[in-house]
Amino acid sequence: MPAKELSRPCMDCKEAETVFTVRKRQLCRPGKTQEVRPKILLPLSLGVSSSVLLSMVEAQIQHQLAKPYGKVFFDLHVLVIDPSSINPSNASIDDKYKVLLETFQSPAYTRLSIHDIFDYVPDMKEIIHEYAGSQFADDSSLSNKDRLSAFRASISTATSAADLDYVLLTRLVAAVAQKHGCKSVFWGDSDSRLAARALAGVSKGRGASMTWQVSDGMSPWGVRFEFPLRDLYKTELLQYASVCPELSDIVIPDAPLSDNVLTKNLSIDELMIRYVQNQGAKYPGIMSNVARTANKLESSCLEGGTSCALCGGPRGNVKGNTGVTATTQSGDSEGSQFCYGCMRSRPDLKC
Amino acid sequence: MAPTTCFNCKEARAVIIRPKNRHKLCRACFIEVFETEVHETITGTNLFFPGERIAIGASGGKDSTVLAAVLKTLNERYNYGLDLCLLSIDEGIRGYRDDSLETVKRNAKQYDMPLTIVGYGELYGWTMDQVVEQIGKKGNCTYCGVFRRQALDRGAARLDIQHVVTGHNADDVAETVMMNLLRGDLPRLSRGTSIVTASGGSDIKRSKPLKYAYEKEIVLYAHHRQLDYFTTECIYSPEAFRGSARTLVKDLEKIRPSSILDIVKSGEDMAALVPRDTSQDGKSCKTTAAAEEENTGGCGSQNGRTSGGEMAAMEKQLTENETAEAHETEIQLPQKGAKNTKNTVKSSKAVKSQTLGHCLNRNRPKTAIEVGIEDEEGSSTLMRQMERTQLTNS
Repeated sequence: MPAKELSRPCMDCKEAETVFTVRKRQLCRPGKTQEVRPKILLPLSLGVSSSVLLSMVEAQIQHQLAKPYGKVFFDLHVLVIDPSSINPSNASIDDKYKVLLETFQSPAYTRLSIHDIFDYVPDMKEIIHEYAGSQFADDSSLSNKDRLSAFRASISTATSAADLDYVLLTRLVAAVAQKHGCKSVFWGDSDSRLAARALAGVSKGRGASMTWQVSDGMSPWGVRFEFPLRDLYKTELLQYASVCPELSDIVIPDAPLSDNVLTKNLSIDELMIRYVQNQGAKYPGIMSNVARTANKLESSCLEGGTSCALCGGPRGNVKGNTGVTATTQSGDSEGSQFCYGCMRSRPDLKC
Repeated sequence: MAPTTCFNCKEARAVIIRPKNRHKLCRACFIEVFETEVHETITGTNLFFPGERIAIGASGGKDSTVLAAVLKTLNERYNYGLDLCLLSIDEGIRGYRDDSLETVKRNAKQYDMPLTIVGYGELYGWTMDQVVEQIGKKGNCTYCGVFRRQALDRGAARLDIQHVVTGHNADDVAETVMMNLLRGDLPRLSRGTSIVTASGGSDIKRSKPLKYAYEKEIVLYAHHRQLDYFTTECIYSPEAFRGSARTLVKDLEKIRPSSILDIVKSGEDMAALVPRDTSQDGKSCKTTAAAEEENTGGCGSQNGRTSGGEMAAMEKQLTENETAEAHETEIQLPQKGAKNTKNTVKSSKAVKSQTLGHCLNRNRPKTAIEVGIEDEEGSSTLMRQMERTQLTNS
């Protein structure tokens, strides 16, 4: 069949005449682009890995645009959660954020603080109140910021604090993705980081959540979590960043790991980052194999179960697991709306 | 400072801080809580049936001694109706096993249980000392594990018993989970945590009633009940992956004592998430390797000094895989072979025993393999595989 002769074909379908011009794109009907193009959320910590990922995705977009009738296949939304809102000792990112907006102009940007979770996840106040129990006197008259600080201050161990920070951060990212209609989240975690997360997650009783915290897969919030850098070592990402001059004023360099720390004062997450770093120097293949192994787990078995109000992970045992670990814990995870891993990080548990 | 009262009874003076949750308990309450938790494990998993005959794999070490003591206590207290006996393996390690066997003999009298001892020497014609003499200290735990698995099966078969219980504790299971994650061994990840594993090639069931019990609490229990056990560790060292996993688990316990149990919980959940086809990967009988796995290096040795040879070997293998992929040569390999290169540890019993047998007998006079051959019921015994390998290679 001979192609239809069109004087000004629509840039998207190439089958109809252009009727509208939307943002310099000639289309047969408006709004069409928004319908077909999936949106991706990229949470940017301004660390090396996520900055490199942004740089790569941006390069991809520019490459697509450079083609004749340049068509971009996805929209990119960048989310920056202010590091100083997570830890006040982190320096202000105002200057870096300004450079970021100037350097990468195609994505849309959102900049939030960690306590904005109360606005994005309206139930979160009640969930935290329920979760923290008697050890935490919730004061509803406080601002979001002070309320979250009070909750975080009630967590007694480094492990639980790091665990819950990650849970809250993930919830906020997922909620932002949902609000902006993003189909997937592109996390900037390197291979080493994923290996450390897998080992730490397993050590904290969160093995079942690895299917979306380490594997590419559907998160409990209907947004896919993808880890495009999963096969790259941290050292390779550092190398990449070193040849990207545009990143030099954006990236916050990693603080070096201190040698003078007692093991028992570390959080489990830190212990695993150190373990993967030390062992990775000698056995990089084995460490990267950890994340690959976790990536082979199937999430389909999780369907149908009930999920934790706080972290979204499965409650009780995964279907097919007949173990009695949960019940030997004198019922503290039974009948609760929280999962085994979250119960372990509760403020009233000292160990 | 006034003495702390027991968290449980609120009366007696607390003398123990539980490693598991830091509760302060008196002696009597600790013993009761420990026993009750094992009882809950047994009832929660329907481990035994009334009238069942059980062989307790007894090494004379703390785990199996506590297992025997607790099972005897619970059997009487809750009327399980079990017929208990002790089954010991003599690996033939001078200065370690010969002494610990004396402990087991005393235990048999103390608990009034019949004792059977089967030796590597009589079963295979090889004691562990001879194995080490032949292959050196590197990797000998693999031999020991494979040999012991079979030896326990044969001992149980001799006694006509269908169920062997072993003293594996929560620390062992946690180590196994971490180790299989480090090794990228999905099939074993799917099996390593289950409390019951049937044994391949026979109907003998294996289980670990102390699966949720902390090693430290087992030591405390043994101490406070003044049990008679043997403390010397095996003089040979564990495999490197287990050594690395063991160090990691010990560090984790320092940070968060519950993490041992948390790893077990994660392992159980992940086992259910391992894809179906992988969990039965290339196994004609999937339970074979499970029982084998329990014992490989998991003999309770606390010796953490390892050469790292196994990890280095796997690293090399992974690097080679990657290079091969980069050169697109893997397409020339047969499917099965290509798959196996990802798993450095081949878990097929046949492959393993044949390899082991071949390695051992290579330098021995051929007559040596004739020693100790018994008329056994199984056709695929290790001895016969050794013999076959020897014949095909000569």
